[in-house]
Amino acid sequence: MIRRLLCAVAVAGFAVLGSAAGTASAQGDGNELVQGNVRNEQDEDGKVTRVPVPDVKLAVAVAGGAEVGSATTDAEGHYELPLPGPGDYTVKIDQSTLPEGVDLRDEAQAEVTVNIRPNERQVLNYFLGESSRQTESRLDQLPQTIANGIKFGLIIAITAIGLSLIYGTTGLSNFSHGELVTLGAVVTWWMNQSVGLHLLAAIPFGIAAGALGGYVSEAGLWRPLRRKGVSLTSMMIVSIGVGLAARYVYLYTFGGRSRAYQQYAVQEAVKIGPIDVTKRELITVAVCVIVLVAVALFLQRSRHGKAIRAVSDNPELASATGINTNRVIMMVWVAGGALAGLGGIMLGLDQQVSWNMGFTSLLLMFAAITVGGLGNPYGALVGSLVVGLAVELWTWVFPSAVELKNTGALIILILVLLVRPQGLLGRKERVG
Amino acid sequence: MQWDLIISNALYAAIAVNAIGYTLIAVGLNVHFGYTGLLNFGQAGFAAIGAYAVAVPIARYGWSLWATIPIIFVGGLVLGLILGVPTLRLRADYLAIVTIASAEIIRLIVGSERFRWLFGGQDGLQGYTQQLQDLNPFGGRYTVWAQSFGGYDLFIIIIGWIIVVLTSLLVWSLMRSPWGRVLKSIREDEDAARSLGKNVFSYKIQSLIVGGIIGALGGTIIAVGNRAAQPGNYSTTLTFFAFTILILGGVARVKGPIIGAMIFWFTITLVDNILAEAVRTNSVPGWLPSWLEVNSANFGQVKYIIAGAALAVLVVFRPQGIFGDRREQAFDVR
Repeated sequence: MIRRLLCAVAVAGFAVLGSAAGTASAQGDGNELVQGNVRNEQDEDGKVTRVPVPDVKLAVAVAGGAEVGSATTDAEGHYELPLPGPGDYTVKIDQSTLPEGVDLRDEAQAEVTVNIRPNERQVLNYFLGESSRQTESRLDQLPQTIANGIKFGLIIAITAIGLSLIYGTTGLSNFSHGELVTLGAVVTWWMNQSVGLHLLAAIPFGIAAGALGGYVSEAGLWRPLRRKGVSLTSMMIVSIGVGLAARYVYLYTFGGRSRAYQQYAVQEAVKIGPIDVTKRELITVAVCVIVLVAVALFLQRSRHGKAIRAVSDNPELASATGINTNRVIMMVWVAGGALAGLGGIMLGLDQQVSWNMGFTSLLLMFAAITVGGLGNPYGALVGSLVVGLAVELWTWVFPSAVELKNTGALIILILVLLVRPQGLLGRKERVG
Repeated sequence: MQWDLIISNALYAAIAVNAIGYTLIAVGLNVHFGYTGLLNFGQAGFAAIGAYAVAVPIARYGWSLWATIPIIFVGGLVLGLILGVPTLRLRADYLAIVTIASAEIIRLIVGSERFRWLFGGQDGLQGYTQQLQDLNPFGGRYTVWAQSFGGYDLFIIIIGWIIVVLTSLLVWSLMRSPWGRVLKSIREDEDAARSLGKNVFSYKIQSLIVGGIIGALGGTIIAVGNRAAQPGNYSTTLTFFAFTILILGGVARVKGPIIGAMIFWFTITLVDNILAEAVRTNSVPGWLPSWLEVNSANFGQVKYIIAGAALAVLVVFRPQGIFGDRREQAFDVR
């Protein structure tokens, strides 16, 4: 009797083993499973606690095919999704069933494709965290967007004033102006990271490099060309060639990677009303405003500033009244180069330093001074703010096409030329 | 150094797909800048249109090759209108800025993730050349001197040069026609042309469209010859290279772009290959100062530096280029 029983158990045991071996080689009978936990990570004073999240819906489907099962997490935050057999499956978590104010820590987990081998019980855990975006509506993001736009516009304005003054005094559309911007940023980076100076000590070198770049290009290139009687169109193409060569010299020496400065790269944001700003950004904006006001006062009040405006208006007449036009133009190049260098440093702080940062922003600068009115330094400021806002508002209007944000500024440029070709502050007779 | 390989490779580059494409792009630019005096800095945009006009319909929608050819022409026409209407009434430098901006817009859009489903993002599009490969009568590989190339390359080179010759003949006859003389008169003195009752604006638009379509054809050749349409190939650098080629060969000369492109690609490839070989065999010549630090990561930039410097130097010292006529250069347009 006992022997028969033992026999039966043994047979049953073999049968079980046999069936298990069978599924492993052929098709599964439902042993396959995806399981895991959904937990909410709460960060309190540096201590992370993980709280189970119940009632979250998950669904599983054959990869690229029909849904084969769904589950809801229990009180322990646990779920199990039985599968019909081995293969590729897509597991989706229904984000609308997550509690208010939390999001998946890893956005990529919203839809996960898993490969299940026979009898595999795969573990897929989800961690949630405080939502960074969904608590804010689109409208709440608007002040932040506008603040970003103003900041970016101010930086562009600093770089574009030189471009505008050079255009005003010499008539040259300088396509190598972006390289002066990069020069300031790269020299500062080099002093900061390779020589080891503190960023604040490195910045004067960057500004000086921009000024020197302006001096050298005027003294060594543009003044001789003007004396030779080379036409403005030729000089514009020369500036393209010079810019192209300089850009690839930067790539040659600096490399293709974007790099950050040693200090102030990572900062905590402070809340001011509806806007998050870092200290770095506040100082950038303050410096921009101070510099722009100083430039305006200089142009409006000082003798040199008046001379610059006189040459902008009419070089021959200015020359006839005893203004040394060549000296004025040199002054514009040095000051414009220094401003470009400063703008480059701030652009490097805001984004990062890269070999073609100047050229990428050159089009925005041109858009700015054209929108504002070619040759008018105040137009450059207005145009820069328009461009900065257009770029940032683009990300607000089209959050799914952020990479195209510079297009916003370029489209505005074309629209302004259609409606008001002399630019916002330009005078009509300047346009031929 | 394997000089036979380096030189045969450079000679091949002077007649290969890129040289053909850049020739056509420069021929288009010659119509704009050389004959009409229009400062178009967005020729890369036309080239991109030509490339994607063929790549997108075939790769994405399975069109026949022949059906895409009209799209190249329509694309060039439409872009010419879009660029010309707002800007051609304005001063020359406005056109320069708007065209360069438009070319950038096109490059950003075709390279964007948003439109990856259509243009393939930064990876671009491939696999649209099968129909041309089926038409190709040349099989196998060929070796001339030390340079080896495939039958498909030979096929594209032959088609390409036929197109170059045809467009050059077209441009030559157009510029001898009354129409071409009006274009030249606009370049010389726009007001004089206007006072003779010519609709300057309309002629400028026509010039922009004709040159734009030729540039688009150049973009198509590059895309089918390299079997890939990638946004990186159609950056503003392409336009600047085309200007270098045009000025090198001679502005307002029919053979200018052809000779310019050959010299340009020969020189660029020669320098590139010599540096590559020197870096590979660890024999960077001793007379190069050591602080230059030529290495495998940066020698590729040298060709751009040379091209940029060449453009600047040529414009100053020999603006008419090698075969140009000093009286017929368009640099005094304002």
